[in-house]
Amino acid sequence: MKTLEFAILLVIGSVSAILAADTPETPITLEQAKDVGRMKSRFLKAAPASSQPILAIPKANLAYFNQSVEPLLTRNCIACHGPDKSAGRLRVDELDPDLLTGPDVERWREVYNVLSNSEMPPDDELDYALADADRGGIVDWLSGELNKASAIRRNQKEHSSFRRLTKYEYNYALQDLLGLPYALANKLPPEAASENGFKNSSELLQMSATQFETYREIGLTALKRATVSGERAKPVTYIISMQDELNRAASGKNAKTFNKNDEGYEKNRNRQHLLNRETGQGIHFSNGKSTPQPETVVEQTSTVSPVVLILPRSNELKLNLDRFLPDEGIMRVRIRAGRSSMNPDEYASLRLIFSAHTSNNANFSNTISEHDLAVTASADQPEFIDFMIPLGDIQRNPFRKLTTTFPRRDEFLHIRNVSNARGGNESLNLIIDYIEISAPFYEQWPPKTHTDVFFDSGNKNDEQLYGREVLTRFLRRVWRRPVTAQEVNQFMALFAKYRPEFSNFEDAMVEVLATALATPEFLYMAQRVNPNPDERHSTIGDSELATRLSIFLWSSSPDDELLKLAEQKQLREPDVMTAQVKRMLADPRSKRFSQNFVRQWLGLDGMDSVVHVTDSSLREAMQEEPIAFFDEVLRRNRSIMDFIHSDFAVVNERLAAHYRIQGIYGPHFRRVAIEPQTNRGGLLTGAAILTMNSDGKDSHPLKRGVWMLERILHDPPPPPPPNVPEVDLTDPEILKMTLKERIMDHRNKAACISCHSRIDPWGIAFENYDALGTYRTRIKNQPVDATSELFNKHTLVGMNGLKRYLLTDRQDQLARAMVHKITAYALGRPLSFGDHADIDDLTAQFRKADDRLGDLIHLIISSRIFNSK
Amino acid sequence: MNNKSALLNRRTFLRGTGVALALPWFETFAADSPRRDKTPKRFVSVYHPDGVGLPLKSDPAWEDWSWFPHGDEKEFKLTKVLDVLEPLQSDITIYSGLSHPTARKVHGHSNADQYLTGAATGGHGPYKNSISLDQVYAEYAGKFTRHSCLVMSTNGGVGGPRGAQTQSFNREGRAIPAMNKPKQIFDMLFVTNTKDAAVRLARSKSALDFLIANTQSLGRQLSKHDQGTLQQYLDSVRDTEIKLAKAQRWIDTPIPEVETRNLHLDAEPREARLYFQTMYELIYLAFLSDSTRVATFQLGRENGEGPHDLLSMAVGLGGAHGLTHAVKKPKGWENLGTYNRYQAEEFGRFAQKLKDTPEPTGAGNMLDNTFAMHGSASSSFHLSRNYPIISAGGKNLGFQNGRYLKFGKGNEDNQAGAGIVSDAGWRGKIEAEELPLAQLFITILQRLGVETESFAGYTGTLGRV
Repeated sequence: MKTLEFAILLVIGSVSAILAADTPETPITLEQAKDVGRMKSRFLKAAPASSQPILAIPKANLAYFNQSVEPLLTRNCIACHGPDKSAGRLRVDELDPDLLTGPDVERWREVYNVLSNSEMPPDDELDYALADADRGGIVDWLSGELNKASAIRRNQKEHSSFRRLTKYEYNYALQDLLGLPYALANKLPPEAASENGFKNSSELLQMSATQFETYREIGLTALKRATVSGERAKPVTYIISMQDELNRAASGKNAKTFNKNDEGYEKNRNRQHLLNRETGQGIHFSNGKSTPQPETVVEQTSTVSPVVLILPRSNELKLNLDRFLPDEGIMRVRIRAGRSSMNPDEYASLRLIFSAHTSNNANFSNTISEHDLAVTASADQPEFIDFMIPLGDIQRNPFRKLTTTFPRRDEFLHIRNVSNARGGNESLNLIIDYIEISAPFYEQWPPKTHTDVFFDSGNKNDEQLYGREVLTRFLRRVWRRPVTAQEVNQFMALFAKYRPEFSNFEDAMVEVLATALATPEFLYMAQRVNPNPDERHSTIGDSELATRLSIFLWSSSPDDELLKLAEQKQLREPDVMTAQVKRMLADPRSKRFSQNFVRQWLGLDGMDSVVHVTDSSLREAMQEEPIAFFDEVLRRNRSIMDFIHSDFAVVNERLAAHYRIQGIYGPHFRRVAIEPQTNRGGLLTGAAILTMNSDGKDSHPLKRGVWMLERILHDPPPPPPPNVPEVDLTDPEILKMTLKERIMDHRNKAACISCHSRIDPWGIAFENYDALGTYRTRIKNQPVDATSELFNKHTLVGMNGLKRYLLTDRQDQLARAMVHKITAYALGRPLSFGDHADIDDLTAQFRKADDRLGDLIHLIISSRIFNSK
Repeated sequence: MNNKSALLNRRTFLRGTGVALALPWFETFAADSPRRDKTPKRFVSVYHPDGVGLPLKSDPAWEDWSWFPHGDEKEFKLTKVLDVLEPLQSDITIYSGLSHPTARKVHGHSNADQYLTGAATGGHGPYKNSISLDQVYAEYAGKFTRHSCLVMSTNGGVGGPRGAQTQSFNREGRAIPAMNKPKQIFDMLFVTNTKDAAVRLARSKSALDFLIANTQSLGRQLSKHDQGTLQQYLDSVRDTEIKLAKAQRWIDTPIPEVETRNLHLDAEPREARLYFQTMYELIYLAFLSDSTRVATFQLGRENGEGPHDLLSMAVGLGGAHGLTHAVKKPKGWENLGTYNRYQAEEFGRFAQKLKDTPEPTGAGNMLDNTFAMHGSASSSFHLSRNYPIISAGGKNLGFQNGRYLKFGKGNEDNQAGAGIVSDAGWRGKIEAEELPLAQLFITILQRLGVETESFAGYTGTLGRV
């Protein structure tokens, strides 16, 4: 403890030294700004009112208002917000100081916000400047009164997180339940985001007959895919041995072979060819044709053939598979591959493409592998790489069953080398000696997905007993809670109705299980009323807590361990909960949290309507960056002030090239230290943010300003008034103006100024970044003007000025915004004034925990609000 | 029929409280309700591949064998290609200067897929389509009839991506297989075997009953507020029940009996005239019996081959696709024009038949209540611009016919591809300005009663239509 105090003293010491030396010539660094800003936190000063137990009947503290607040308001505010002039239609002299019973809570909240964010009084109104102590006095009083008022609202107003699962949650829940690893819910209609940006907001998740029918259809199809009946289907298997291909190709009439030891091999080395590594014989090879093996069981080659395919970067082997692949089932494509060289800066990966060319202009070619799979083994010790492709989900050649030969019936599989190899004599190539394609492929028979539903049991011969067993186990996972015998009986009654229509138990039971997948308890997150009527804002049940937790961190149903802990009523024990949250965050499923939360929080769907990014690998990298950055901060439990600025970036090769960061190779995202001159660090300068908040040609300060206010500061501007005049782009005078001038012109119209003066300055500070997020110092041969003045007259000089201001003066707001956003996402409902006190309380704890993101997840989960209905 | 739906009536009345039921009630029992006399609004689209002949104005063939008429909106003269439509001139409209913008630089042979969808289906690489015009309407009108739509083509099935053999695509952009055998189409429309469907329906009904009971027992354990949310689920299940009841009702409703004497259900494309007339007759009968209000029919497929080429043999010419490549040979324009004339003739015969048949409800003739469209996704030389489109009928929907509506600028004489004169020109610079065809689609949908302001991402409608 001693050392900590000492450290704080040191910081304060250095801060005051910095402040003393704070001249325009040597502004403090952004890292220093983080320390300076932290010192200003209101949350770190005193224990917030709400952490004290709330009295049975809280009372308004009018005495303090009369004695200390009112005189200050009269002195510092009333000139502009009083009887003479009521700027912003606000008259502080008319506000009812009783927040608990009075009608002016919302206006007081605005007063609270502008005072605590130092937006008022304006910097240039020196006569009305508020001393820090005075400001603190008003803010503290308001904070306490608002929290008391919020607590009263909380107890009076019913709000609910009872909601339908989102499309992506439903998809993951079904995937996890049935063990099917591919997308299942694409048929559901897309979902909109609510005003706060979140798609899981209870009020938005509607249901319709069409949607309901789609759930039924998806559920039944998925179950039929997970289970099997009858004999194991004989797989169709293709084997492409490079040895055989070479023999065939070399025996062709006009075969042009060459030899590795020939002088001319140089020109063939980096072209796609087959090579016998023992004899040196080689031949160009890019198209193969294969027919399925006769029914003998296929033997797995264990010895690596001396004959291999050399597959250079961006080349592909195109295999004609004729028309024999089955309609449904998993196609396993197994490729034995290695790398010709092991330079760690180079990578090579495999991608599968499926195509057909049915006639002249009728063709398609679609990527069917979900991810490129990296080849890491060396050519001497190649390894198998397996792709699993659901044949029923990909575009097939519709003519494959034709009895005539035209339109053409063949289907083609392309195996492509996706790589960053840079050429040269020893360029990295992929070396492939064996390919096996098999469908339908089953790891085991019956498949695990089947035995998960229809497991082994001593009662298998008794349909009544076994049916109950199957249902009890299945329903517990579908409903995320234990089920009663009576509930199971209801399903058995349905089974009895269906049974005569089907020839076997499984087929009839699948129909019953499909019905379970359409029940509201699967599609919705239910919260049962507490049978004890005395508990007014009671906590949610144990199973419900497990579900809320897993939906939050995994976007899916709880697993067996969580269900068990909930059933044993242990989940709420702090140690157990902490251990579970840690386990869940360490599980790969928690990547879904980073993905879905960040996409919605930052509105990354906006990238979908961007058309000016034509390079698909750049687009993908842009979209991934904020997620990877958030994930990095989460995993390392770093401060969320990193979102404003960090001395590192999280990039892959493509994005590093875009940011002109040297020496980054490979498609995966990783943390790299960056210099200030890269002008990156944090989320604000992410290419996706800048790109989607542009107009396709140039930056768009207004969009960027709105984005800042909504997403980062959680201070959304009001919607534009209905009679707002459009900027007339046919007016030659307006066309001549620069963008900034155009904005100024628009802003100066009376109807626009009040809002725009709060929005635009934020966006203008981004002007050094163009429509693709590239840093620039000139626009059309004019120097970039990224200087703006905030509504409170504070001047921002470009991105660094913006970051410095946020870190120095707005940390409380940033932290509270983060708490608000994650809590709203975790609860799946918009937060209201009734939640104000809880959010304040969480923010105080969060700030005391050094704003660490990982800690925030734990804080939210153990909070009262997360455990309440 | 009334006896059989008695059970349904009782069930529905027992549950029949609240707003959720009011609308579907009328839809379900439209035929029994006072709204029975409501006149159907119908839509049919016929697609022909390979475009039409558009010689340059300087070509001697322009006068007679250019597909588009000569003249202006009201005063125009049909050339020899379309003169077969003269008896119907006051019932048709001809449109020029329309095309789907995203396909303008894609080879015409890849574009049948997007004629009714307006999607950016492209020329190569990944492929994705979107919902077609007829299916948007079928989603709306399908609930009034036994079949939501009738999808037909000479080649049948779905074809391949960028080589569609169907004009219809569902909301997910998946192709809906077209039927091409008159016998099968007839059986589907008029000889349905309903046993399997009845078993499936009964099973669904048990599932829905079960879900309603299950939901109600959950509801008792929820707060008032949450019960409100759950009500939406319950309403959805009940709406689905009503849909099932409707399907059940169609199973119980006798299939309409139609006059079959003139039908040649074994006709095949090699007997092109007979085949065409039989297919059109099936659409006519489906409309007359109100079995459906939506139909698409694709003649052949882009790029020829298969049954498609047999069609042109009906007029004594070689493969249909070959005709488009031979226009610079002696009589080339005339031959292509003759084939297009034959297509127009069969379309005209169908339209005339609708016109000659009084609407069963008494509201004019059937053509007045049908918007019938005939067109292709390319003009000459497989250029994906200036689609040649004719529409017939639709007077009672608000369409004023007897007009030649020219849209766009720069190709007033409808010369081949506005300056491009060969097959190699499909990538060429677009000189003339054209308007998005989707804007015509929006008008069509609105007049058919679908409330929409956009189609395939396009908004706005065309003036004058």
